[in-house]
Amino acid sequence: MTLSALSYNDLPLFLARLRTLGELHGPVRGSDGAVRFGPLPPGLQPDLTTQRSLLPPKKYLLAPSETILTYHPATGYQAPPQPKTPLVLLGIHPCDLAAIVYLDRLFLADPPDPTYTARRDRLILIGSSCTPDQYCSCQQLPSPLPTDCDLFLYQQADGLLLRFEGPKGALLREALQDLLQSVSAEQPPASTRDHFGNTGVAATHDELDPNLPDWQQLADHCLGCGACSISCPTCSCFEVLEFGGLDGCSAERLRRWDNCLFKSHSEVAGGHSFQKDRAQRFRYRYRHKYHGYGQLRGLPSCVGCGRCRVQCPTGLDLRPLAQRLERSAP
Amino acid sequence: MNPSLPLAACIEAIQHLTDDTSLFTLQLAERPAEHQPSPAHFQPGQFLQLSLAGAGEAPISYCGFPSKNGSIELCIRRAGRVTAALHALAPGDQVAVRGPFGHGFPLALYAGHDVLMMAGGLGMAPLRSLLLALLHQRERYGRLTLLYGAKAPEALLFKHELTDLANRKDLQLRLAVDRAGDCPSGLPDCRVALLPALLEGLPLDPQRTVVALCGPPAAYRFLVPPLLERGISPQQLHLSLERRMHCGMGHCGHCAVGTLLCCTDGPVFAYNALQTIEGAL
Repeated sequence: MTLSALSYNDLPLFLARLRTLGELHGPVRGSDGAVRFGPLPPGLQPDLTTQRSLLPPKKYLLAPSETILTYHPATGYQAPPQPKTPLVLLGIHPCDLAAIVYLDRLFLADPPDPTYTARRDRLILIGSSCTPDQYCSCQQLPSPLPTDCDLFLYQQADGLLLRFEGPKGALLREALQDLLQSVSAEQPPASTRDHFGNTGVAATHDELDPNLPDWQQLADHCLGCGACSISCPTCSCFEVLEFGGLDGCSAERLRRWDNCLFKSHSEVAGGHSFQKDRAQRFRYRYRHKYHGYGQLRGLPSCVGCGRCRVQCPTGLDLRPLAQRLERSAP
Repeated sequence: MNPSLPLAACIEAIQHLTDDTSLFTLQLAERPAEHQPSPAHFQPGQFLQLSLAGAGEAPISYCGFPSKNGSIELCIRRAGRVTAALHALAPGDQVAVRGPFGHGFPLALYAGHDVLMMAGGLGMAPLRSLLLALLHQRERYGRLTLLYGAKAPEALLFKHELTDLANRKDLQLRLAVDRAGDCPSGLPDCRVALLPALLEGLPLDPQRTVVALCGPPAAYRFLVPPLLERGISPQQLHLSLERRMHCGMGHCGHCAVGTLLCCTDGPVFAYNALQTIEGAL
């Protein structure tokens, strides 16, 4: 692995070069104090030190609400055009990179989701190292997922160390070439984390014990607000809605983020719900986060970013339970 | 190629079966793109997604057998937004479909076996598809039995076809209804009983019998135990599950049964895959 170095003094130049490649987005601190991924126009500094953004970068791949089909009697259902200009996403932490790998495995596998594929194709991912805080669980329950990206930034005291990967990485290197200094180091310092280590926790395949008191305790304190899943970088459940146009003949089909802790999540026509009580719905959530389902069965989807814990108004946390139940796995 | 893009289809015929359920025959009005599966080519037990512009999309089990002319039969009860809008349509109107999705009944496994089919209510729809496939190659299978239960005699679906089935020598048919009513003429007796009661006195060789169940969740809870008691192994027992299936491609996350997804791992499951899963039935 060859690394390059960039002085912090050159950061404005670095950002300017990135803007030549496409739209540049990164973590920005708003006037309300929250850090969100958003556009980084000239003059605006990215916040590369804050632990976690309010929403994870999944919003660039699965919009909170997006049109997936339009209908007109003359043309039938059609997929709307997707923007093709590259979008450079700067400052993604390893957990969020792993989460994108998870979403890729879900939405790019056969059959690939066309909307996701279009959105993913235009992304250029620039990761950045971080230091876990008390809400992160990447150390206690490391995800087995890789933290793929096109460029990774190791934040050092005196500047950035850069690692370029793959064809999009080569494009980035070319654009940045004259700003880079070569370094002798082959390996980034151990103090700057770019991965989870190779000791990912394997999912157990045991069916969850519904008699554990934990489920009811979680259910009793849950307000059903959905913040955990909105802020989760791998929660990707969506509901599909269709709206008829005011002209009486056109229509639009949307998909919108959904939450498995909502009772409506499992409701079928006629009103029957397959996850009637909230404790049951917590097990549904737990299974997805730690055991995986469908074609990703056996792959935990929790990447340890800690957002669910931080966002929950009553401080609910599945992770202590996961540490108890999944630790026993080989 | 876009698997989430529905293809236009035209309603060819609508046959009213009961006051809230009709059989819709569709004909594709659009060819699938090259290398794309056709919604008209399916296995019994699979499902498609039926779209009505402005109303949305709903997963519907195939009810017929793949025909040479590519028509698609769907037996649909008026239950939600999409199906209510569908019931207001007439022959000639346009809908859209995509599919097929999921795994159907394992017909290859059924060859050489006695097949016991048990349908409760609208569960008759996917089982009709299976039954037509079995009858199409009748010689490949042993004894065929259909046990079918409905709320009342007038709620029985496909009454004319049941009459024909009752007259066949190579199939045994037993009917049950929850409450008495006018039993349509020509049908065999409807017992006023719950579906599991039809198993009483039914000759069953567990070694050579496979069972296909389709009904509401409550029916499964009452049907599975007596079948296991009769010696049917969990591997030989197949059930079709209903779940909220939005996308059909394992993406939307609504239809998980344990760590299985109803849309891609099912909707037909062998009971041994579901046995230990909480809330599967």
